[in-house]
Amino acid sequence: MLELDEVGLVHNHRRTDEVVALKDLSLTAPAGQFVTVIGSNGAGKSSLVRVVSGAARPTSGRVRLCGRDMTRLPDYRRAGLVARVFDDPRAGTAPELSVEDNMALAMSRGERRTLRFALSAKRRALMRERLAELGLGLEDRLPDRVGLLSAGQRQSLTMVMAGLTRPEVLLLDEHLAALDPGTAQRVLGLTAELVRGVGCTTLMITHNMDHALALGERLLVMSRGRVVADLDQRDKRAASVADLVELIAGAGDTVSDRILLREDTPIETTKGQQ
Amino acid sequence: MDRILLDALVTGLPMIPVFLGIYTVFRLREDFDLTVEGSFAAGGAVTTVTLIAGLHPALALVAGALAGGVCGVLTAGLHLWLRIPVLLAGLVMSIGLFSVTLHILGTPTRSLLAVPTVFTWFPATPGAGADLRMSIILAVFVTALVTAYAWFLRTEVGLALRATGVNALMARSQGVNDRAITVLSLFLANAMAGFGGGLIVQTQGYADVNMGIGTFVAGIGALLLGELLVRPGRSTVLRIVVCVAAGTLAYRLILVVALRAGLPAGDLRGVTALTLVVAVAAQRHLRDAVGALRARMTPDPKLEGSTR
Ligand SMILES: Nc1ncnc2c1ncn2[C@@H]1O[C@H](COP(=O)(O)OP(=O)(O)OP(=O)(O)O)[C@@H](O)[C@H]1O
Ligand SMILES: [Mg+2]
Repeated sequence: MLELDEVGLVHNHRRTDEVVALKDLSLTAPAGQFVTVIGSNGAGKSSLVRVVSGAARPTSGRVRLCGRDMTRLPDYRRAGLVARVFDDPRAGTAPELSVEDNMALAMSRGERRTLRFALSAKRRALMRERLAELGLGLEDRLPDRVGLLSAGQRQSLTMVMAGLTRPEVLLLDEHLAALDPGTAQRVLGLTAELVRGVGCTTLMITHNMDHALALGERLLVMSRGRVVADLDQRDKRAASVADLVELIAGAGDTVSDRILLREDTPIETTKGQQ
Repeated sequence: MDRILLDALVTGLPMIPVFLGIYTVFRLREDFDLTVEGSFAAGGAVTTVTLIAGLHPALALVAGALAGGVCGVLTAGLHLWLRIPVLLAGLVMSIGLFSVTLHILGTPTRSLLAVPTVFTWFPATPGAGADLRMSIILAVFVTALVTAYAWFLRTEVGLALRATGVNALMARSQGVNDRAITVLSLFLANAMAGFGGGLIVQTQGYADVNMGIGTFVAGIGALLLGELLVRPGRSTVLRIVVCVAAGTLAYRLILVVALRAGLPAGDLRGVTALTLVVAVAAQRHLRDAVGALRARMTPDPKLEGSTR
């Protein structure tokens, strides 16, 4: 169970260029809940992920995981409980290390690293098994440098690595953003499978309204560091892409042009903000 | 010819651990640590005074390595505590360590001629030349250390070290404490420098407070040379070790040949600088040519992808 208690995050605190990224945000996600998060650029979605992963320490409020207060725990000490997939396919893996070394790194996540060999026959067998499930042929490329893989392959590998140690919380920050539609669809399928298999609480951030509606059992709309709408399973089923756009626009935000609008959606966006 | 090779071995073998340490920071961590100049001399000095105090020669080497390691930890401390770059912290350390080394030695140079070293401790191989015997003993020590280091790099902790230099954010998200790894890598790099310093003083029979000067640049030159011969990657630990060993010996060979050709000792620095320039130029411009040659020699296209 993931609990955020009035979490605030302020960048450049008490300076002229102060930015409030999160504003007294409270959120409780029961164990195993799959939550999708949408919102315009700068709404604070990535900040939410950073606060949960420990990459950023909240200026105020508490972050609890499975009842344990994690607020002051740095990201590397939460890694056993929290897995992260970044928007940049290059960020989640080490390009100069081989596929097997990357996976071995992830296999020791949350444990004390020892002077045992990072690679063993047993570990390699598990790697092959997990990679084979992807159907990308990566199981035959264990010694290859990850830098040689395509963006989609790398993002799929990062997903597999995230699931290796059964995290309590999975954080997906626009993890499909850099992929072409076909690959994005495949990795999305993989995401759903992984979440079902591991049964972890999941926050999936996306700019794609269809994805936000299709996956998960709860949908959050963020704006200016707050959650402005919280749709449960039923509301979510009833909602359409137009409704979501309405919710974002209703909060006074411009709807970013990265949101993939369907043909039949009325275009009421103000293009801008990059 | 034999003499040239033996000279290169006797002067080159002790430098292999030192340059492996430099490789660790320079290539695996992608940083510059000038501490090695100081920790190399400090390690040599500590080995010298502990030998004179009657410590077992092998233990004196360990003492030198520990002294070097402590220097590395201090550099890491400066870097993390004052948030200054490793380059600057190492520069400060290498300057300060000169005085420390001078205090350890007591005099600018200190002879080891009357003291038992690893070379007197091992029984003489009958019939073989002194240099050959020396190289064999050195090779045993260096091989042991380098093997242990290669083994370490392949452990879970070693893998974490190899990962932090390339993608610290990713390493952290996989649960690696990158600050601790910074301390560890600087400790190891400088411990190996101290170990090499201890081997050098025993080889040449004296310690000199200036012996560390130029070590870093020489190391970079040797590594670039090694990378021309062997192309190591972060996941190919064996290649890393072979690259450093080959580069070090090749570099020493160039210096020995230059000396034998009648170059005055004072010109050796010039040769070092020239080697560095040539190695960099070759890396930039020969890479494609070497790559093409390599591709022709390895006909299996799949191998090309997997060996890098
Ligand atoms: N390191 C930082 N320093 C200063 N301000 C920051 C920093 N990181 C984020 N911000 C600010 O915090 C706010 C929230 O940013 P955040 O990255 O969480 O938005 P987001 O919802 O993820 O947007 P996007 O959809 O563009 O990814 C923004 O106004 C941003 O400018
Ligand atoms: Mg973001």
